[in-house]
Amino acid sequence: MVEHVIETSDLRKSFPGIEALRGLDLQVPAGSICGFLGRNGAGKTTAMKILLGMVRPTSGEARVFGRTPDVEVRRRAGFVSEEKDLYGYMTVEEMIRFTAPFFPRWRADLEKKYLRKFNLPPDRKIKALSRGMRTKLALLLALCRGAELLIVDEPTSGLDPAMAEEALQAVVGHVADENMTVFFSSHQIAEVEQIADRVAIIDRGRIVMSGALDEIRESFRRIQLVFEGDAPQTEFRAPGVTHVRRNGRVLTLLASGAPDSIVDEARALNPLSVDIVPVTFKEIFLESVNTEE
Amino acid sequence: MLFKPNPSLGVPIYLQLMEQVKHAIETSALRPGDQLPGIRPLAEELVMNPNTVAKAYRELEREGIIELRQGAGAFVSQSVRVRKWSETLREAQTLVSGAVGRLRERGITDDEIRRLFEAALAGLTKTGARRG
Amino acid sequence: MLWYKSWLETRWRFLIGLALLLCSAAATVFTYPQVMKLMPMVPANISGPLGERIREAVVLARDYRGYVWSQWFRQNGRQWTTLFAIILGTAGILTPASGALFTLSLPVSRARLLGVRAATGLLELLLLAFVPSLLIPMLSPAIQQSYSVGSALGQAASLFVTASAFFTLALLLSTFFDDPWRPLMIALAIAIALGIVAQIFRIHRFGHVPWGLLLTSAVASLVLYYGAVINLQHRDF
Repeated sequence: MVEHVIETSDLRKSFPGIEALRGLDLQVPAGSICGFLGRNGAGKTTAMKILLGMVRPTSGEARVFGRTPDVEVRRRAGFVSEEKDLYGYMTVEEMIRFTAPFFPRWRADLEKKYLRKFNLPPDRKIKALSRGMRTKLALLLALCRGAELLIVDEPTSGLDPAMAEEALQAVVGHVADENMTVFFSSHQIAEVEQIADRVAIIDRGRIVMSGALDEIRESFRRIQLVFEGDAPQTEFRAPGVTHVRRNGRVLTLLASGAPDSIVDEARALNPLSVDIVPVTFKEIFLESVNTEE
Repeated sequence: MLFKPNPSLGVPIYLQLMEQVKHAIETSALRPGDQLPGIRPLAEELVMNPNTVAKAYRELEREGIIELRQGAGAFVSQSVRVRKWSETLREAQTLVSGAVGRLRERGITDDEIRRLFEAALAGLTKTGARRG
Repeated sequence: MLWYKSWLETRWRFLIGLALLLCSAAATVFTYPQVMKLMPMVPANISGPLGERIREAVVLARDYRGYVWSQWFRQNGRQWTTLFAIILGTAGILTPASGALFTLSLPVSRARLLGVRAATGLLELLLLAFVPSLLIPMLSPAIQQSYSVGSALGQAASLFVTASAFFTLALLLSTFFDDPWRPLMIALAIAIALGIVAQIFRIHRFGHVPWGLLLTSAVASLVLYYGAVINLQHRDF
């Protein structure tokens, strides 16, 4: 039984002059809403395109539904690109009629529901639609095909807050009613925190952190040590210390897992004070992508 | 009656939802036997992950606050104790002022007291302070 | 539905091409009487290859069949058809502006996408090669001439086969680029160069079926198409 809907192993992709992916190891379990976070240019779009067969990897493996990305994968997955690519010269209705026959499991009931809910004018040409309407149409086309997996690149980019919420609501509502996995990329941390139950953080072509969002949030703490003189240069041997920053007399650690052994090691350095502070997911993200290699 | 949880508070979303339900019960917005919104409609309305709603409901059931009836939905337990919110708050206030008073007696400054509470809220007990 | 999309993407090129070719074919027929009147005025004593050519043209033009062949099937019809073969071959390519990522996210193989595009284009090219050419036998009685339908069909078929090679050339070139202009320019340049070569070597001769040329064109079409499929499958989008 395939439990991971998406699975990549040491995935690499080089374009002329750019190494987009440098050994990506990603697992997305079925039924989850997984947020794919990373800075611009970290490799999110390239990874997604590989999952759908639009780009061929230089080396390594990518599997969706246990298969190499092929026509069958695209029959069972929906994709919404960052630019919400559609055919400008077709009308909304024509676009839907064009897309539906490709999918034997097309849901006419959902088509009616979303047309009404999104207020899409059937006779308007797509090039005359606003960005928000185009996003909604792109979502409709992806959601009505009876797909088991939805891959969305930046679902709310270019949308005002109200439209963004509507787009997220459509995704969440759909997941609630159907059995589906969602893999979406974003650089809006708030959006990921709102609807994702898993995250994967990509930085410079590699996954630097992944797992259940709640677990990640609960397991990280910031430990701040203040010293009399300059902070010492020791390496922390206790497990779980992920990032260390020295700033004059202050030593700041980002640690995951139980902090007890770390605090013990910290106390041994004789600091003036040891403080343990909870950390927001945004800070966890920023620390993960700011490390110098 | 149930509001969108705030992801950037640093408190897990499912906990926020649980607190909201408990608060609703304590202020009598939800009475024993009342039905809670279904997981799917609630997830859609609040624009949050259905798995998170499900987790909150499961935890509430574990704590005996609600009952999940197969096929029917989630209902507030008949046996849940209903306490007046003001009563709970008054008790809490007494506890906190008592603790603050005792800490001040030991010469600990207000800022340090604040930091101690933060650490305690984060679920940890070890903070060290060394007087220079 | 891919067929409908292909049609939407190529219909203006096709219709404009058809209109132009029909006008050109009609013009070929209707200017014949005037050409005949001008014949006696052509100087017969120019020496050298140019003079040779002029005399050749005059000889041909005396006979209506020769005139139609040299004006339409060897020149105007061939040139227009080749031009539109290239224009059709560079239509509907996968570019970011034309929803390429959406198309590629559909459960269709790239080979099939190209196949539908090629088939629509070739069907349109077929019409462009045959319909205007068939107009000539239809209009000829209006100037008291006659042209055999069979002959028009045969020569139109020859037009189609050679034009197809340029169509598939444009198709192949279009799989290398993200825009329609560069493949179009390159294919045009090649077509013009080959046209000049054909003229120098007199590949087209009145009364002869250019079997060698037709065979080469057919083989080239297959090879170029195959190349286009392979290149498309290797590209990243």
